[in-house]
Amino acid sequence: MRRRSFVAGAAAAVAATVAMPALAQQAPRTIEMWIGLTGVAQELLIQIGNDYNARNPEYRVNVSFRGQYPEQRAAAIAAFRAGNPPHIMQMFDAGTGDMMSARNAVIPVSEVYRRAGLQFDPRAFIGPAFGYYSTPDGTLLSQPLNVSTAVMFYNKDAFARAGLDPEKPPRTWPETIDAARKLRASGMACGFTSTWIAWIMLEQFSALHDLPLSTMDNGRGGLGAVLNFNDAAREKMVQTLVDLQKDKTFDYGGRSNNAEPKFISGECGIFLQSSGGRGTIARDAKFNWGTAPLPYWPDVIAQPKNGIVGGASLWVFNAPNRTDAEIRGVAQFLDYLRTPEVLAKFAEPTGFVPPTEASFNRMREAGYFQRNPGTEVPFEQLNRGTPTSNSMGYRFGRWTEIRDFYHEEVERALQGQITAKQALDNAVQRGNAALRQFERTAQ
Amino acid sequence: MQRKVIFKGTLLPILLIAPQLAITGVFFFWPAGQALYFSVLEQDMFGTSYQYVGLENFRTVLSDPGYVSSLWTTAVFSVGVTALALVPSLYLAVQVDRVMRGKGLYQTLIVLPYAIAPAVAGVLWLFLFNPTVGSAAWVLRQLGVAWNPILNGDHAMILVVIASAWKQISYNFLFFLAGLQSIPRSVIEAAAIDGASRQRQFWDIIFPLLSPTTFFLIVVNVVYAFFDTFGVIDAVTSGGPAKATEILVYKVYNDGFRSAQFGTSAAQSVILMAIVIALTAIQFRYIERKVHY
Repeated sequence: MRRRSFVAGAAAAVAATVAMPALAQQAPRTIEMWIGLTGVAQELLIQIGNDYNARNPEYRVNVSFRGQYPEQRAAAIAAFRAGNPPHIMQMFDAGTGDMMSARNAVIPVSEVYRRAGLQFDPRAFIGPAFGYYSTPDGTLLSQPLNVSTAVMFYNKDAFARAGLDPEKPPRTWPETIDAARKLRASGMACGFTSTWIAWIMLEQFSALHDLPLSTMDNGRGGLGAVLNFNDAAREKMVQTLVDLQKDKTFDYGGRSNNAEPKFISGECGIFLQSSGGRGTIARDAKFNWGTAPLPYWPDVIAQPKNGIVGGASLWVFNAPNRTDAEIRGVAQFLDYLRTPEVLAKFAEPTGFVPPTEASFNRMREAGYFQRNPGTEVPFEQLNRGTPTSNSMGYRFGRWTEIRDFYHEEVERALQGQITAKQALDNAVQRGNAALRQFERTAQ
Repeated sequence: MQRKVIFKGTLLPILLIAPQLAITGVFFFWPAGQALYFSVLEQDMFGTSYQYVGLENFRTVLSDPGYVSSLWTTAVFSVGVTALALVPSLYLAVQVDRVMRGKGLYQTLIVLPYAIAPAVAGVLWLFLFNPTVGSAAWVLRQLGVAWNPILNGDHAMILVVIASAWKQISYNFLFFLAGLQSIPRSVIEAAAIDGASRQRQFWDIIFPLLSPTTFFLIVVNVVYAFFDTFGVIDAVTSGGPAKATEILVYKVYNDGFRSAQFGTSAAQSVILMAIVIALTAIQFRYIERKVHY
């Protein structure tokens, strides 16, 4: 930091002596942005920052990778506590509730645009993303960037070998289980697997089936929300996984993204994964594959609702020494990051969902979805039907931790230590204890 | 009789130990004090508000069944690591001590793993035993073992114990070898002349004479298992599945950094501090007495 300002200072001194009249040209103001993306998405975002700098000499945006989401989140918390947070921070979906209650730590994005005097309509973002990241009065708190939802990827070659129609992926859970059994019978080591099970088997599952995670509008109605996802439908889902694990019709692949190799190596024929995982599958899978919406239970819901938004959004940190000029710089860069060109450029190679209607239309008109069959599936799944209070996302403090409670308890059930019912009861009980403690500190 | 040499002056000695005192102060007393302070506060994630809650964090931690099971996990893990790191290294040291030719080569090969960072060692074992792509896992499957550390807690525990102990074998080997070489040859020769078998020589002469080294290594290995295995656990299992490999240090990290629960995490590190102080005191007070020096 000191070194950089020294270099800048030296450059300014040289410039001043060489060309006295050129004093008006000031050193650009630095805008720090921390991200937690890896691979293609990370490189692209850094490049987008550089493109912006080339056009706007007044500011210098510094996009830097600070570890994957959980580590980057920890780094940002530490930086804020030390009084030196980045201007813009990327925060993954599960951390949203924590950020929303940290009123002194962040400036709502709507307010950033207002203070900079820029036009901004938060409703330009697609409904599920707007619902997830805004307050009930329509203020957008953070700006969606990489939006994803969970979808089903399936191995078409394995489907053909198992006597299944490769062009007809299973739509419901009974069909999926049946297909997975046939895949097993055809000699595959496992039928289906899933990444991020709390996100897919609990959060997405509940939205699709129009079931609440808690009281008070999934936590959007206040901090007093009480978790209640230990009902028969959710229990049946966990029980199904437990039963199918026994003969590897389902095979658990670990938390986070760890199940990914099981699909790519050809071990499992069906794979539930974030749409953002598409880029890796396209690069590494040595077989034909297809994309389909997440399955649902027809006896729970006839027409499944929309999936909920995953991925991450951009938050603007507050700090005691923030100047108006810095806020203007932040607003201008965020404004750039929501133009259809930039959003389309980011969404296409990564597999993330374009977060505005305009960027989706741009990609469609350019023929992207026709050239890349299956890429429209996550967008359609996010936008189908009328969202209900159960499918508009959730807002809980300490949700990253509560997700891990769910992981631990379901792992115990899969190991056979406890029943599916006990797993969900424990997760709900531990989650509620965490929520009550959060309620106390947030007030 | 010893003659004590006393230097005059107070300024120079103080100046000379000042750097050490400063390092101890900055890297030990200050963070330890910080942990004590945080352990009696309840604060939000960003530290914008906090309140004094007395001993409530300690009550929360100690009444958490997860904490009690983590204590048990830590006990199993550290006994496992210590035993698995000591026994083979003693065996290797005894064998190398007898080797006449190429001793240097054996020594170098056995010491080599010590140069590997814990996280790298962890990743290495993770790959070998990954149920999908690991070659060792493939061998196990061919032998009919349903190897699955991703879901089976016992398998995960075995994996982290092996990965942690493997690295430590080199270190222990060096100390055992040095210890063996300092045993007077005459004692062993005397035993040999009396007709004692190799085994008998080992158990009645070598092993008791090695006990200071063994005792020292037990202390070092237990401390290693408690604190330095973080990298291995983070890389191999991240404490899972279902907390089967979540030792106390990993729980402090998990609750403090991943979950941003600074109060209960600080309370845990204070408890951990107390456990380590107690363990060291017990080891030196009671076990050391039985050691031949």
